[in-house]
Amino acid sequence: MGGAVRWRGLLAHGVAALFCAAILLPLLWLVRVALTDKLTAYKLPPEWVTPRLHNFVEIFTDYPFLTYFINSVVVAAGSTAVALPLAAMMAYAFARYDTGGLPLRLFVLSSQMLPPVILVLPLFALFLWAQLLNTWFALIIAHLTISLPFLSWLLVAFFQGDVRLLEQAARIDGATRFQAFLKVTLPVTAPGLLSAGLLAFILSWNEFLFVLILSGPQTNTLPVGLSAFQTQRGVELALLSAATLVAIAPVFVLLPFMRRYLIKGLSLGALK
Amino acid sequence: MAQITLKNLGKMFPPDVVAVADVNLTIGDGEFFVLLGPSGCGKSTTLRMIAGLEEATSGDILVDGRRVNDDDPADRDLAIVFQNYALYPHMTVAENLAFGLKLRKVAPTEITSRTAATSRMLGIEPLLKRKPRELSGGQQQRVALGRALVRQPKAFLFDEPLSNLDAKLRATMRTELIKLHQSLGATIVHVTHDQVEAMTMGQRICIMKDGHVVQVGPPMEVYRNPADTFVAGFLASPPMNLLDARVVDHAGGLAVALGEARLAVPGAFNGAYGAWRDRDVVFGIRPEDMHDGAGPGGRTPLDVRVVAVEALGPEVVLVAALADGREIHARLGPGFVAPIGSQQRLHLDLGAMHLFDRETRKAIAQRGTG
Ligand SMILES: Nc1ncnc2c1ncn2[C@@H]1O[C@H](COP(=O)(O)OP(=O)(O)O)[C@@H](O)[C@H]1O
Ligand SMILES: [Mg+2]
Repeated sequence: MGGAVRWRGLLAHGVAALFCAAILLPLLWLVRVALTDKLTAYKLPPEWVTPRLHNFVEIFTDYPFLTYFINSVVVAAGSTAVALPLAAMMAYAFARYDTGGLPLRLFVLSSQMLPPVILVLPLFALFLWAQLLNTWFALIIAHLTISLPFLSWLLVAFFQGDVRLLEQAARIDGATRFQAFLKVTLPVTAPGLLSAGLLAFILSWNEFLFVLILSGPQTNTLPVGLSAFQTQRGVELALLSAATLVAIAPVFVLLPFMRRYLIKGLSLGALK
Repeated sequence: MAQITLKNLGKMFPPDVVAVADVNLTIGDGEFFVLLGPSGCGKSTTLRMIAGLEEATSGDILVDGRRVNDDDPADRDLAIVFQNYALYPHMTVAENLAFGLKLRKVAPTEITSRTAATSRMLGIEPLLKRKPRELSGGQQQRVALGRALVRQPKAFLFDEPLSNLDAKLRATMRTELIKLHQSLGATIVHVTHDQVEAMTMGQRICIMKDGHVVQVGPPMEVYRNPADTFVAGFLASPPMNLLDARVVDHAGGLAVALGEARLAVPGAFNGAYGAWRDRDVVFGIRPEDMHDGAGPGGRTPLDVRVVAVEALGPEVVLVAALADGREIHARLGPGFVAPIGSQQRLHLDLGAMHLFDRETRKAIAQRGTG
């Protein structure tokens, strides 16, 4: 019996190890290539040279990588800053007052089911008319079409949980609806709101299609900017790797926080 | 302190769940009033309508004679203790206690003194700096109680606050709540599905079923004169034995026909029960009104077969079968022993018997022309 359990454990670990390898190997490869020079980057089987950081310097000095980075930060932070409070209000209305009932909720969700490419052309036409193409503002609005419905759907669950009873306790204690929201609901659901915000940030950070169509060289964000590394002098593999690593670094920094808050948010642990 | 009156109170949840139907009650100023009933009978909904957390779909709620149906919960000045306490998880115990006072703009010095007095009374002073998640269930319960007490509201609404405690702590808290009520003289509406809680704590109890009030009265009165088979079967453990029977003529008087057995009805009841001759009834007798000895006389014998003997210490519960297999429970003295399967003769105190209409399940009056 003990043997069977051990075998099953080994099997589970084996599968997990394979899974990790599938995810990690490309990343490790990326790190290796980013630390080599332009020529060795192409060599197969891989050749080991003294790791050097010059690629990381070059992307900032010889390419507009810093501009892309700043664009990404502004657009991701901007769209999140707008989406989070709006989505929280919408989700609260859904959860507490059943505003619009199921039809409205499904309508909000259905906007997520459209392929983004269907949205991008009308948006292009609108921004062209409003002379907003190639601005941060346009990108922030475009990314809101993704994050706002997604977040408002996600946050409904946070407001429907145990916090509802806490809000009622506060109302009995003498709080108005708004006071109960401000002093009880908001602090209690803060971890959930924060993790949802991080999620929105990452969504915007990684978005490609809208940026490709709606922005130009001055406002390109990282995903589109990175694709430029492939076209100037063939594929600059080493530079591209270094740029990719810098581009995904914030996601890696944010993910652990998001995981922690998301779990905390989902199990408020308020009542037992 | 306040009097609470419910007039034709009803609550329907869309599309068609009638949670509370036409409840009429007056809870006296300073009364410890218990709403008792099985899960889902509408107790919480009734309490939440009083508190203002649910809107009544019909009827009126009066506090001290003033209609409060349209008042905000905050303005009703009632306090509620929830089953799972609903303490604010992001505040310390002290902040939980002070929250309602701050909202009501009580002066800071008074908040301090009232919080201190309440926590001293409940023995939660050492916990004041902790967060709710760092407390045991019993401690959370005390804090929830403290949060209600410190506000000095017009009335307290308790929604099964003891049901999450272990049996021993529950018994202690029962006593404490009774003492608390005596020292404060507060109006308390206490909701529970536990008949022991209701019997021991309530000055009056209200038994609910399917959203309706079945019976209201002091616990012992309800216990002695249950209005129907539901109440009879709900109070006490083991509850009243309820057996389908018929009323028949017997030796110049009346008897209850229980299978082959004939239990002669005491002469005093003949007048009232006469109208039920040859009709289907439910015969009810409490376990403690059956004995293993003939006693001083006046008891009616009934032969049974022993199914189980449950020795509880101060008493023995005998589970026995009638000739036709129907089971009854009897509470006997601690000395009772009998082998399983053996025949025993029980002696019934029929002065304490009850009859119920088989169809309506309502009690049949014992005296008068019923
Ligand atoms: N928000 C609600 N929506 C629909 N039905 C409800 C709601 N709250 C309670 N009910 C129903 O109303 C009835 C009474 O519920 P409740 O008052 O909680 O019973 P109790 O507290 O006596 O267990 C139950 O049938 C329950 O399913
Ligand atoms: Mg309930």
